[in-house]
Amino acid sequence: MIGLVVRRVAWALVVIWFAITLTFVLTAAVPADPTHALLGPHATPETTARAKAHYCLDEGLVVRYGCWLEGVVQGDLGESYRTRRPVADILGDRIGPTMQLAFAAILIQLLVGVPLGILAAIRRGRWPDRACNLVTLLAQSAPSFVVGTIALYVLAFKLGWFPLSGYGVGGLDRLHHLILPATTLAAAGIAFYARVVRSELVEALSEDYVRTARAKGLPESTVVLRHALRNALGPLVTLIGLDLGVLLGGTVIVESIFAWPGLGREVVQAIVDVDLPLILGTVLVTSIAIAIANLVTDLVLLWLDPRLRERR
Amino acid sequence: MRALALAALLAACNAPSSGPRFRAAGGEPRAGGTLRIAFPGAVSSLDPTIAYDELSFYVLHHLFDTLVDYAPGSFDPIPRLAERWEISDDGRTLRFWLRPGLTFADGKPIAAAHFKYSLERARTTPDSPFGPMLADVVGISAPSDRELVIALGAPNTAFLYVLAMPFATPQREDHVMAAGDNLRRMPLATGPYELGSWDEGQHIVLHEREGYFDPTRNRIGAIDVRENVPRDSQFLMLEAGELDTMMSPTPPDLLWVTSSAAWQPYVHRRSLLTTFGSRFDVTVKPFDDVRVRQALNYALDKSAIVKLLTGTATPAHGILVPGMLGFDDKLAPYPHDPAKAKALLAAAGYPDGFATTYVTTDDADASTLAQSLQADFAEVGVRVTIQQMSFATFATAIGKHGTPFAFVSWLADYPDPSNFLDTRFHSKSISEEGSLNASFYSNPALDALLDSARAERDPAQRAELYRRAERIVHDDAPWLWGYHSIATEVSQPYLKGFDQHPVWLRDFTTAWLDLDVDGERVRR
Repeated sequence: MIGLVVRRVAWALVVIWFAITLTFVLTAAVPADPTHALLGPHATPETTARAKAHYCLDEGLVVRYGCWLEGVVQGDLGESYRTRRPVADILGDRIGPTMQLAFAAILIQLLVGVPLGILAAIRRGRWPDRACNLVTLLAQSAPSFVVGTIALYVLAFKLGWFPLSGYGVGGLDRLHHLILPATTLAAAGIAFYARVVRSELVEALSEDYVRTARAKGLPESTVVLRHALRNALGPLVTLIGLDLGVLLGGTVIVESIFAWPGLGREVVQAIVDVDLPLILGTVLVTSIAIAIANLVTDLVLLWLDPRLRERR
Repeated sequence: MRALALAALLAACNAPSSGPRFRAAGGEPRAGGTLRIAFPGAVSSLDPTIAYDELSFYVLHHLFDTLVDYAPGSFDPIPRLAERWEISDDGRTLRFWLRPGLTFADGKPIAAAHFKYSLERARTTPDSPFGPMLADVVGISAPSDRELVIALGAPNTAFLYVLAMPFATPQREDHVMAAGDNLRRMPLATGPYELGSWDEGQHIVLHEREGYFDPTRNRIGAIDVRENVPRDSQFLMLEAGELDTMMSPTPPDLLWVTSSAAWQPYVHRRSLLTTFGSRFDVTVKPFDDVRVRQALNYALDKSAIVKLLTGTATPAHGILVPGMLGFDDKLAPYPHDPAKAKALLAAAGYPDGFATTYVTTDDADASTLAQSLQADFAEVGVRVTIQQMSFATFATAIGKHGTPFAFVSWLADYPDPSNFLDTRFHSKSISEEGSLNASFYSNPALDALLDSARAERDPAQRAELYRRAERIVHDDAPWLWGYHSIATEVSQPYLKGFDQHPVWLRDFTTAWLDLDVDGERVRR
C-alpha cells in the first residue's frame, strides 16, 4: 500500500514537471513579445533591451527555462508582467475562492444528483424516471453562460434573492454570494451524476446479492442505500476526482459572469497578455491540484473496494 | 454575449422598466456620500511610474496630482500643483513655481525635488513605460523648494502635456524605498483622494484626503470601485441601484437605455482620444502604390462601421480627433465610392483587384468590423482573408514587416497632434521591431512639417502646420481611415456635476452626490 502511494506520487511529480515544461515551450513558441505588455507602445530599443535583461528574457530558451525553474525550486514563481505582483501572491489570493467554488459545486452535485439518480433507478420506467431524464437532459445541454445569465437575471436581479456579483465579505455573506455561481457550475454535473448513479444502481439492483438481501426481508431502503448504492459508488468517486481536478483549475465563464475572484479568469487574462510567469504559475498549481485529486481518488477507490487491493 | 439575447427576451416579457429607481434630492452642491462604480477588468498597479492602462489611470487620476492638469471638460492646460509656469522664448526651458503649502497624504510637504525624483525614476526604472517620453529632457533642477526647472534639448510645445501624466506626480524617495515591492499597492497620494483599501482584483476604496488644498475637488467622500464586473452585470447593478454610474453599456443595453425617455438625460457621450483604422505596409506591393491605398479608402463604407458599433463612433478623415488642435473641419472623410475605387485600382494595374490577408485582433468587435471590410472590398474585387490573433501576438506582428495589411488603433497619451502624427507617421518612429510608425511610411516633406510644428509656440500657426500635415497623410493614405470612438456612460440622476473628461474620461473630481439630508438616495 505504501509502495503504491510512493509510486503514484513519483508519477504525479513527473506529470507535473512534464506539464509545466510543455507549457514553457508552448508559450515560448507564441510569436508575441512580452515587453509590449511591460513597456507599452513607446518602448525604444534601449528600454526594451533593459527590460528584457531585467526579466531574464534576453537569453536563449534553455537559459530562460533554467532561470524560471531555479526560481520555482526556491519557491519564487516570478512576477506577473502586467501587474508586477509576485505570481505566488496572485495564486495565493485566487486559489481560495476557486476551492470554495469547486467544493460547493461538487457538494451540490452530490446532494441533488445522487438522490435524483436513486429516485430514477427505483422508479425505473415510470414518471419520476422520465421527469428526471428530461431535467438531466436540459441541465446537461444548457451551457453555463446560459444558465448563469438567466439565474443572474431572474434570481438576483428580478427577484433580488441573491447578490448580483462579487465574493462577499465572509461568513453568511460569502455563502450568499456563493450559491448562484456554485449552482450554475453544478447544473451540468447534477445531471451527469444523476445519470451515472441511475445506471449503476439499475445494474446493481438486478444483482444476486440484492435479491438475497430482499429475500432476507430487509426493508427496501436498506437494500437500495446500503447494499446496492455502495457498489454503485465506485464510478461516482472517479467522477468526483475528475471534476475536482477540472474545477480546481478555475472556471472561466462562471467566474466571469458572477465576478468571482478565482483562478480561471486570472489565467485567461494572463494568456491574453502573454504574461508568462503567471501562465506558468497557474499551470503549475493546476497540475498539482489535478495530481492530488487523482491520487486521493485512487486511494478512496482502494479503500471502498477490497477487490482492487487484492489485485495488486 | 449570446446569453444576453435570452436575458433581453426575458426582460421583454416583463413590464418595461419605468426608468431610474432614484432621483436627485434637489439640494445645493454638497460634500459627502460614497460613489459606487465598477470596472470590467482589474487595476494592474497603483505605482504611477509603472501603471499604464485605462483602468489603473482612472484610479491614479484621483490619487495623484501633477504640475499641470486640464480644465474641466477641455484640453486646455491649467496649473494644478504648480501655481504658474514660464516657458523660455526658445521653448527649451520650462520653469514652474509650486503652490505654497502642498503636502503628501502623510502630511509631509511636497517640494520641487520630489518632482525631479519622480521624473528621474521614470527614466531609470527598467520596466517603466514612460522613460521614452522624457527623451527631450537634458536637465532637471530644483533651485528652491518651490521652483522646478526643466531643460529640453529641443523645443517641444507638447512637453507640458507629458507633465500632466500621472507618472509626473511628485514622489518621495524614502517612501519608494520603504515600500519596496509593495509600492504598487502603497500609493503616497498627492491628489484629492487617498487609498483606503484594495482587495486586488475585487475591490478598491478611495477616501477623500484630509487637508487637500482644493476641497471642491473631493466633494464625494469615498469612491468604491468593484473590479472585474462584466458590463452586463454592471448594467443590472445600475438598474438595481447598486452602482451610481457605469461606463460603456453593451450594445443592447445602450440601445435600450437611449430609447428610454426616463434614462436618456443620464446617458453621457464623449469622443475619445482614439483613432481606429487599418494600416498598410507601404513598402510592399500592392500597398506601395498610393492609388491602391486611396482606392481602398474609397471602398470602405464607414457608415456601416458606425452602425455596427451602435453609434459609438464617428468616421475619421485622418488620425487627429475632432476638437483638438490641428483638426481640420473642412477635410471630409473619404466617401464610400466603389466606382472611384475600381477606377483607381485599374489605373494602378489591378483592374481585377487582388487577394490579400487582413490581420486583426480576436475580440468580437474586431471580427465584425473585419467582415464588414471584407464585404466592402469584395465589391471592388479585392479578396480579403481574415486572420485573427490574440492581442499580444497581434501587437508584435504589426510592429514589423511581414504583415502588409492589418487593423490599427491609437490611444493617445495626451491631446497634442504630435502624439498622433509624429508617433505614427514621422520617419523617426520607424524601427525594425515594435515600430510605432507601423506603415513604415517615410515622407521628408511631412517630417519637416512635423518638426517645425513641434517647436512652434504660436497656437494658430501650429494648428495650421498640423492641418497641412494631416492633409498630406489623408491624401497619401498610409492608413485605411476608420473611426474615432465615443465613450458612453450612464449615471443615476443624483450624480451631479459629472462630465466625462475629454482626457481623463472617468473624472469624479467635479462631481457630487445629490442625496437627502441623511445622505440616503431618494427613491422616485
